[in-house]
Amino acid sequence: MLATVVSSTLVGVDAVPVSVEVHVADGLPSFSIVGLPDATCREARDRVRAALESSELAWPMKRITVNLAPGGLPKTGAALDLPVAIGLLVASGQIPGSQIEGLGAFGELGLDGSVRPIVGALPLVDAVHAPRVVVPAADARVTALIAGSRIRPVRCLRDVVDALHYGLPWPDVDLSLPDDPVEPEPDLADVRGQGQARGALEVAAAGGHHVLLVGPPGAGKTMLARRLPGILPDLTHEDALTVTRVHSAAGLRLPPSGLVTRPPFRAPHHNISMSALVGGGSRSSRPGEISAASGGVLFLDELGEFPPSVLDALRQPLEEGVVRVARSDGTREHPARVLLVAAMNPCPCGEGGNVGCRCRPPERARYSRRISGPLLDRIDLMVQVGRPSTSALLSSEPAEASWVVAERVAKVRQISALRGVRCNAEMSDSLLNDVAWLDEEATLMVAEALDGGRLSARGLRRLRCVARTIRDLGDAGDGLRVIDVSTALQLRARPPLGGDHV
Amino acid sequence: MSESVLAALAALPGMSSRRLAHLLDGRTVAEAWVLVLAGNASPPVVPKEHSARWASQLARIELDEISARLAKLKCRVTSWHDDDHPRRFRDDIDPAPVLFRCGELPGPTTPTVGIVGTRRCSGAGKEIAYELGASLSEAGVSVVSGLALGVDGAAHRGAVAAGGARPVAVVGSGIDVVYPARHRELWEKVAAAGCVCTEAPLGAEPEPWRFPARNRLIAAISDLIVVVESRSVGGSLLTVDEAVRRGVDVMAVPGSVKNGAAAGTNQLLVDGCAPVRGADDVLMALGLATIDSATRRSGERPPPSGDTGTVFAAIDDGPTSVDEIVDYSGFDLGVVYLALERLMTSGHIVADGIRVRRS
Repeated sequence: MLATVVSSTLVGVDAVPVSVEVHVADGLPSFSIVGLPDATCREARDRVRAALESSELAWPMKRITVNLAPGGLPKTGAALDLPVAIGLLVASGQIPGSQIEGLGAFGELGLDGSVRPIVGALPLVDAVHAPRVVVPAADARVTALIAGSRIRPVRCLRDVVDALHYGLPWPDVDLSLPDDPVEPEPDLADVRGQGQARGALEVAAAGGHHVLLVGPPGAGKTMLARRLPGILPDLTHEDALTVTRVHSAAGLRLPPSGLVTRPPFRAPHHNISMSALVGGGSRSSRPGEISAASGGVLFLDELGEFPPSVLDALRQPLEEGVVRVARSDGTREHPARVLLVAAMNPCPCGEGGNVGCRCRPPERARYSRRISGPLLDRIDLMVQVGRPSTSALLSSEPAEASWVVAERVAKVRQISALRGVRCNAEMSDSLLNDVAWLDEEATLMVAEALDGGRLSARGLRRLRCVARTIRDLGDAGDGLRVIDVSTALQLRARPPLGGDHV
Repeated sequence: MSESVLAALAALPGMSSRRLAHLLDGRTVAEAWVLVLAGNASPPVVPKEHSARWASQLARIELDEISARLAKLKCRVTSWHDDDHPRRFRDDIDPAPVLFRCGELPGPTTPTVGIVGTRRCSGAGKEIAYELGASLSEAGVSVVSGLALGVDGAAHRGAVAAGGARPVAVVGSGIDVVYPARHRELWEKVAAAGCVCTEAPLGAEPEPWRFPARNRLIAAISDLIVVVESRSVGGSLLTVDEAVRRGVDVMAVPGSVKNGAAAGTNQLLVDGCAPVRGADDVLMALGLATIDSATRRSGERPPPSGDTGTVFAAIDDGPTSVDEIVDYSGFDLGVVYLALERLMTSGHIVADGIRVRRS
């Protein structure tokens, strides 16, 4: 006898529908899965068998064949355990076949018959259009965000049999989103001094401009970078769903409510591989760190220690907001709308040519060359993080707190939203001409910078975006004045070492 | 009439500037004409083997025809008895008694600089010669060269383009024989803007022996010789030797040690010639410019004032961070950034990594 249950499998951050066909026939007892299951998927056999027996259901001593269609698509993960079990119960006559029409199912089975949460619940359920979708109770809240009343949360395999065979009601699971406990984010009030860096972080947060912090060890680069998410506004519902999808597909821990509402902060170590950063892998097309940070902050500490090839892989995603991963079986697009914050020392010893610098000029030059020009060109803001002065460190006067800065940032983001963009860094050329025209004096200043070779064509575009953000943070008037442009020009990235060193 | 006579005398077979000098030593042009025509002058004024031939040739010559040719070329012929014969050619240790010229020579007070170099020069050499020619001409210095391919031509092109002091071309062939032929247009431009001159008689082909003689005239008329590019052996080094004989200073443009076309100039530098990095070095050697004016030319910078001045005062010669400037001046970040941008544009400060310092 044959039974078919609808499910899906992850491909990158998206999912593709899969038909789980279970065939039970006379013959020597055996169990085989076909349709390119990965190792996890193939082990379903042992989990399903134990779960059936623990749930006081019969394992048919017959020849069992499971086909995961389409046959050419590799299937990953344990989410297909539950559809295989349901199909088996129908094919062996323990659940009436009429009950599984229009039924989708997801869930990993425990040996005791419990249904466990799955990786990628949000994209997986989104790919299935069945009127009833059985999901693990633990994933109920997050899947309810997109599937609403279609979902049927279950805690164990017995719940499924009770509902489908005995007609009992589906278990009642509280689907209301609880407020996530407010996790304290680090506050800018802890940072002493660093006026230039604070200003740059504010501009970065308000306009979504990439920022590079350069300074000696212990000056507070990491401390500053970790305070950036704290001044970013909450994600919009649409962004929150996108971010949650990616986090779900990447198997990252979701907050109790199931929905990621705060901008994520990802800080990969500098030994990261290119696939881990931009996504990919030989078969699974897993989203990388840049996608996990999408909608939030990607913090690359010790930028100079990252392999140059890995850094240069960031160039395209930083420009376009998506990363395209090409593999033998096709190209996938993952979201990569990050705010890049990078930190580096000015030289290997960290002193950057100050008194006490132990690096020879060729070493400094080599260190500086690790960051390619095209990458620097995409970094809009570059600031010095010096060691704060003694008086600033010992001052009892508290510095400006994050919530004060966050209010200004939120105001600018609202202005951007009125212009129809998420943040100023995403403004199109035509929009720039409307809202970021240069007054006469500012035009002259920009012309000098272009003539002097300090600014590329892309640089000019980005410069206008940054200058617009600076004006929005100030009086938000029309056009750009010389003071906005000069600030943006001065904050623009240039090689972290002086010209005479390189 | 005396011009066509001079031209006829200069065109006698086997005539050289030394023989012309003997012939015109203490004699007017007319007296020299009569002497040669008589055919009985004694050596060294007229060499024995030429005496009869010269006499018969002069007897057959059509002076009117020579006059017509000179008029058509708008060419003037002068001897060292004439007031408008260049003094430097008359008083030279190896004088030029007769000179054919088209155009106007620069005035006697105009400084002159000979720019010489190889015909097979590099692109950079050509560029340098052009720039030197242009800047010197603009600065009121007459550019002297030989109108040859390569460095000579480029220097003249620059001088003509700048349109400053009158350039002088001393050529090896006759004034009516344009050599190299492809420089005909430049030749005419130099004649229009300044002067093309030669010792060689009308119709003289560019025979190899005429060029060393020409080079001596370049050295004679120049206050200073600049060698732009020269191979280790070449005509421009002959010019240098002639300049040294006359006590004329020689300067050389340094070239890459890999550049064969600069081997000669680099050797000159090793031997103690002053290097030329640009027109200012030449002007300074001529006493026409001071070090101050040379640096001022590269960037006029009034001291910054107002807020910009305060920010400038906060910047040391060593790298200074923006936060330090804010602390010092008490200004808003925006004001500091504006001042920094202005100072950077005016060249008062430069970026030192992410900090700034005085330039």
